[in-house]
Amino acid sequence: MGKIIALHSYKGGTGKTLLSVNLAATYVRRGKNVCLLDLDFRAPSLHAVFKTKNSEYWLNDYLNGACEIDKVLVDVTREHGRSGKFFVGLANPATEAIREMSSKDRKWEMRALGRLLSLKTSLLNDMHHDYVIFDTSPGLQYSSINAIVSTDVALVVTSLDASDIKGTQRMTRELYDLFDKKTGIVMNKVLAEILSSKKEKQKFYKHFNSVHNLPILEAVPCFCDVLRAGGTYIFSEEKPEHPFTKTLDKLATKIEKL
Amino acid sequence: MSIYKKLDGKPTRLLEKIKENLERLNEKMDAMIEIQKHGQRVNPEIPDVLDVMTLLSLPDHLRKTAVTLCKLGEATAEEVAEQTKRARAVESGYLNQLVIMGYMKKERRGRKAYFYVEKEG
Repeated sequence: MGKIIALHSYKGGTGKTLLSVNLAATYVRRGKNVCLLDLDFRAPSLHAVFKTKNSEYWLNDYLNGACEIDKVLVDVTREHGRSGKFFVGLANPATEAIREMSSKDRKWEMRALGRLLSLKTSLLNDMHHDYVIFDTSPGLQYSSINAIVSTDVALVVTSLDASDIKGTQRMTRELYDLFDKKTGIVMNKVLAEILSSKKEKQKFYKHFNSVHNLPILEAVPCFCDVLRAGGTYIFSEEKPEHPFTKTLDKLATKIEKL
Repeated sequence: MSIYKKLDGKPTRLLEKIKENLERLNEKMDAMIEIQKHGQRVNPEIPDVLDVMTLLSLPDHLRKTAVTLCKLGEATAEEVAEQTKRARAVESGYLNQLVIMGYMKKERRGRKAYFYVEKEG
């Protein structure tokens, strides 16, 4: 049985999409069948990475009950697959769709939770995906909490920004603990000099393990090359020998062991 | 003695009937406790919405039951207990409490009671 992994964060701009896309690509390289879903309905982004013909339906339609999940998924194996199959489900980036998704009532959100929960059966059991990755919206809003409740493993992406650290602490305590999820922290955009030596790295991990009271799965250094790429292509796919790709590889292994 | 006669003298059926009645009695007692706690009966005809924000506000023991039922869609107390690894009687109590609070519905089919948040379609 596969796993559903959600990437979430307290603040926006922490690198959830970058890490989601590259984590998915890492598992595909390992021969796993992966399904990557854009659950950030307020700021959809995966359509910009996967320049593929859109499916007739969006994830918005699936949550609205207008179609089943197989109608939403786009097979990108030919463009991005290696040894495993790669599917993506996109959120509708049209302004009207974003506005519509932000004005849903509680009853709709309750039904959306039910539909997200049923993905475990449809994607993992029936369609035999090894990993389903949710790229969620930041903060404590309906769509992201629904995604967290429906996931097996939650990865909280955080930067070294003080307000992000404080917010993440509060969020994990008041939200993740209540839903009893396997949770790990991924520290992103860490200055390379902080991780320069083994000793410094150990000190960094020890400090943040106690700050968050959760395991720090990986500290991803800030690479100018990655920033320069600007999310226009899947970095780890194009640069398999880059230290960023190697870091993602280590993260993927740690998640497998969770 | 008359019930025994009505049930064709089969002791197993008699015990099952007693168990069924005890369970109904338990449910009624749960309802009474809940009414005492809240001062008034929550109208089960107007269900409250069991969304994530509500799930967050529930006490830990009820949240576990509610999330499990959301995952299963529709289930008996026994099926919920299998998932939560708690006793069937415990889950039955929690599910009935959630029904009283207006977050779930209950439907008897034969001798089994099924709980659900919302019917499909």
